Amino acid sequence: MTIQIVLALVIFAAAYFFIATEKLPRVMVALFGAGLMVIIGATDDHGIFFSEESGIDWNVIFLLLGMMIIVGILQQSGVFEFLAIWAAKRAKGRPFVIMVMLVVITAVLSAFLDNVTTVLLIAPVTLLICDRLAVNPVPFLIAEVMSSNIGGAATLIGDPPNIIIASRGGLTFNDFVINMAPIIAILLVVFVGMCWLMFRKQLQYNPDRVERVMALNEREAIRDVPLLIKSLVVLVLVLSGFILHSVIHLEPAIVALLGAGLLVLLTRLETRKIFADVEWETLLFFAGLFIMVGSLVNLGVIEMVGKAATEAVGTNYFGAAAGLLFGSAIFSGIVDNIPYVATLAPLTNDLVQAGGPDAQPLWWALALGADLGGNASAIGASANVVVLGIAARNGHPISFWMFTKYGLIVTAVTVSLSLPYLWLRYFA
Amino acid sequence: MHASDIQSKFPVVGRETSAVEAARLIAKDGRPGLVIADKEGKPVAVVSAVDVLGLLVPPYVLDDMSLAGVFDENAAEEMWNHASEHTIGELLDNDRVRIYDLLTVDADATILEVAAQMADARTQVALVASEGEARFVTLPAVMDAILRFCTPESKKA
Repeated sequence: MTIQIVLALVIFAAAYFFIATEKLPRVMVALFGAGLMVIIGATDDHGIFFSEESGIDWNVIFLLLGMMIIVGILQQSGVFEFLAIWAAKRAKGRPFVIMVMLVVITAVLSAFLDNVTTVLLIAPVTLLICDRLAVNPVPFLIAEVMSSNIGGAATLIGDPPNIIIASRGGLTFNDFVINMAPIIAILLVVFVGMCWLMFRKQLQYNPDRVERVMALNEREAIRDVPLLIKSLVVLVLVLSGFILHSVIHLEPAIVALLGAGLLVLLTRLETRKIFADVEWETLLFFAGLFIMVGSLVNLGVIEMVGKAATEAVGTNYFGAAAGLLFGSAIFSGIVDNIPYVATLAPLTNDLVQAGGPDAQPLWWALALGADLGGNASAIGASANVVVLGIAARNGHPISFWMFTKYGLIVTAVTVSLSLPYLWLRYFA
Repeated sequence: MHASDIQSKFPVVGRETSAVEAARLIAKDGRPGLVIADKEGKPVAVVSAVDVLGLLVPPYVLDDMSLAGVFDENAAEEMWNHASEHTIGELLDNDRVRIYDLLTVDADATILEVAAQMADARTQVALVASEGEARFVTLPAVMDAILRFCTPESKKA
């Protein structure tokens, strides 16, 4: 092992430590780590900007950018708030029915929007509904963020790790829908049952308060009808573009960028509003991660580990899938699942390349483990942290352990149920 | 004219002051903000009137402005009952609210000096450095002083 490899591993491990412990801003750590990789000669400008194997994955960056612009504009229409209040009124103020409807709405939205955006949209309106009903909003908020993490796993664009997996594995939007959506639908039904078991005692029905929910006017939440129509049309076009990939041969990033461009053209919003929800820090964080992982690819570290993993796995791909599923869930519960998947994706790719179609399910094991593992603790996913912040700001603090207590149960059940799915679907 | 010529008393509130009391102090004389004291009662910071207004509104409505329209009149009026539950301390702990350090100006500072320092610090109230009871210069007082020296538009023509 050369000194350069040792240095690269030290930089990588240190960056992981600081990202996991959140002692420093993660974007700063990723970019600083990337800079150090350049300084030690582990990568260079050509490798960073132009290499498909070891450079920044522009497909991921621009798919995220395009979707952030589209969702940022769509959310200004107020359609999500409309949906939530409409659901609460249809449930006639019965807390558990409202919870089920909000859980399903959140999961479906999460499949098409990123999880943080989804909870930012659903949490305030949930607080409003709970305020009207005089019920504790904490069970609702916990249930929603968990359903967001579950629902996001269903599609290519639902969770950032899926975008990385799709790009590295050459997987399409339809591949995700066919392979991930069935188990996610099952897990969602199970999760609704778990919500009943975990939260039913906290959901007191108060008939006197029902009128206060029924008096809410959801139509007032829609602030801009033309904007809503244009945004929905573009979103449908973009989703069609993803689904018709095999026909139109456009990468998801290009489809998302074209959609974003069309929406900007149609809505003629101010530049400030168009880019208001673009998380530039997240995009730079991704870039920094890709450079660090790419450096390990350049130095042959990933190939070395990949070979060792391939030898260890042999042809026992179900064993590998189980290891990847549970290992990813545990790891993702402790640290951000984005750097984890950015590192594991090239390794998994080596295993899949070596094993051919028999090893293809390893991608789904990685995606399920990483996505569902985000529920395991309060810091397991960015959406969890965001909801805890909103809850505290509104006078309903959710402690780390309160969240984690429920999170561990939900993760254990959902990940455990994913294993028989993988077995029955791909290995039986 | 100097800072000491336009200084006046100004209400100083603490962490425990309720949002309703703070709102009353602002509404009474159309004050642009409030001065906040530390535990020892020493004036240390300024919060703007608009931030106190934000304290009266449920946080979830501020998080999602489209929710403000869904209440009917009765429900909207009922929402203000929550205001008494909030205190100025919440503003101090809120990362989204900018609390300005209290600017101190010399008693013999000219109006230009005072205006420049307040504009630079983006504050509506400044403490006048002097012995004894705290006195402040406020944005309306500074504006009023400036206007006395401005040539009216009609005379310019």
